[in-house]
Amino acid sequence: MGYSGASGGHEAVLAAEKLVERRRYGGASAWLGIDQITGRLGLAVDRVMGEGGLWAPELAARALRQAEGDVQEAAQLIRAHRSTVPRVAYSEPVHADELRISRRISPAFRNPPGSQLLGRTLDYVGRLLDLMPEDQARARLQAADPSPEPVPAAHDLTANGHPTANDHVTANGHPTANDHVTGNGHEAGGHDGGAHGDPRRPPRLLRLLRSMGMVVDRRTEGDPEPYDITRAPIRPGVPRSARLTAMARAETGALVHLWYANTFQPGRHNHEFPGEVRHGALPVRVRHPLTGAPVTVTEVRVTEVETIDDLDRAEEDRSRLDLGYGMCFGHNERKAIAMAGLDLLVHRDAGRTGVEQEVLLTLDGIEASGFLEHLKLPHYVDFRSVLDRKRAVRAAMEEAVAR
Amino acid sequence: MTREERAELLAAATPDELLPLAERLLQSGDLGEPTVLHPPEVGMVMLTVREPVAEERFHLGEVLVTSCTVEVAGAAGWSMRGGDDRVAALAAALLDAAAAAGLPAARDVHALCAAVAERRAREDAAEWAEVSTTRVAFEELT
Repeated sequence: MGYSGASGGHEAVLAAEKLVERRRYGGASAWLGIDQITGRLGLAVDRVMGEGGLWAPELAARALRQAEGDVQEAAQLIRAHRSTVPRVAYSEPVHADELRISRRISPAFRNPPGSQLLGRTLDYVGRLLDLMPEDQARARLQAADPSPEPVPAAHDLTANGHPTANDHVTANGHPTANDHVTGNGHEAGGHDGGAHGDPRRPPRLLRLLRSMGMVVDRRTEGDPEPYDITRAPIRPGVPRSARLTAMARAETGALVHLWYANTFQPGRHNHEFPGEVRHGALPVRVRHPLTGAPVTVTEVRVTEVETIDDLDRAEEDRSRLDLGYGMCFGHNERKAIAMAGLDLLVHRDAGRTGVEQEVLLTLDGIEASGFLEHLKLPHYVDFRSVLDRKRAVRAAMEEAVAR
Repeated sequence: MTREERAELLAAATPDELLPLAERLLQSGDLGEPTVLHPPEVGMVMLTVREPVAEERFHLGEVLVTSCTVEVAGAAGWSMRGGDDRVAALAAALLDAAAAAGLPAARDVHALCAAVAERRAREDAAEWAEVSTTRVAFEELT
């Protein structure tokens, strides 16, 4: 009997399902192909994969179509599907340094090691609803040039029009915190991705900050096994690796909300600065079963963020900065930035408040919306007991008044 | 070309690149009587990433793959590819085995791998040419 205390209605349930299917598979508009969804709604596909916890673009596109564009529902379909697919291997660990960038910016640092590569972004231009008539929009599609001419030189967005790629020292000859020079005047790191190394794998700002002694060193000697949240429950006190996995497949809106609620507070006037925002491809490597050597079997696209915050609490090293880390499937910068902010927030909180519990237990979209959706199912027994309790309380009160 | 490089290129090949060669070799009898040791299986690989802040490993999420193992002329062939295309995984394993067995068809497999490597390099260069137009050096306001 459970919550419901009722049965029947089978015909109505089937008819309701048929109504859904009629709109989903029928209608006058053309069938929506998987390639159209992956090609034109790529950011939605990325979100479904990230929140579903499975990199599978075609399946995510299929789920989006089935869910009629409901990203949350599509992520639920993917998460449910992945529970039916066997785990065949853990990959060889891939270092985030291997990310082959198609975008890399440093909002904190004007001239980071390597170069800033804006990639595909509308960050610096206005965004208005495009009201171009449909026939003209289709004509624009036909006219679009699929392979624009490459322009190899670095562009300068400054007013004077002079290139500044070598601008590593200020006018007075001294390095500044915003120059690609360490505190002792030496260039950081062994290679500059823009000049000497692989420009698609630029060195990190973190390395420069380390060489300047500006960040707390969180590296340890041990190399603990990562916590697998698909195999063991997550509770406050789990290792940081569990937190990173949980946030990597968290619901984007929930992550952004929790980060915002903790950042935009009365009396707090500062916020963290992303030192790295990257989007690109990471290799997936497994051991070759016949040779035992690593082999790349595919690639995934990810968004990666390192965010930097001031350490300003009494118990912290106030002479240094600390970093939080975010990475998620696909191109989803809001998610990765919020994740990095929350990673650092939980680390600095050190169990003082309930923020770790919120991060671990309330951000999963499938769990949260699953609980919410169940509210729509019949709760007749539950609610009847609530009414009974109220009647009992009222009777007791009336009896007390009568005495 | 090492065995791992061959596996990587056969994994990166498109079905359109793999299937015509595999079908031709099967139909011509160049592969003899292949044995399927493990039929194409769709599964997931958990992607483990080492993050740079504490240099800790964590699991980013799972990746859909299809793997297959075959035997051709006494030599094992293996493939694992992203996605759930079972036919392409079988074709890649057959071509890997043909190369491992040292059959005359190995030349065709090597040529296919070289073509895939060339295409990937071309695509990589084209993508970089496109995005490198957005490299920027901001100048400090003084």
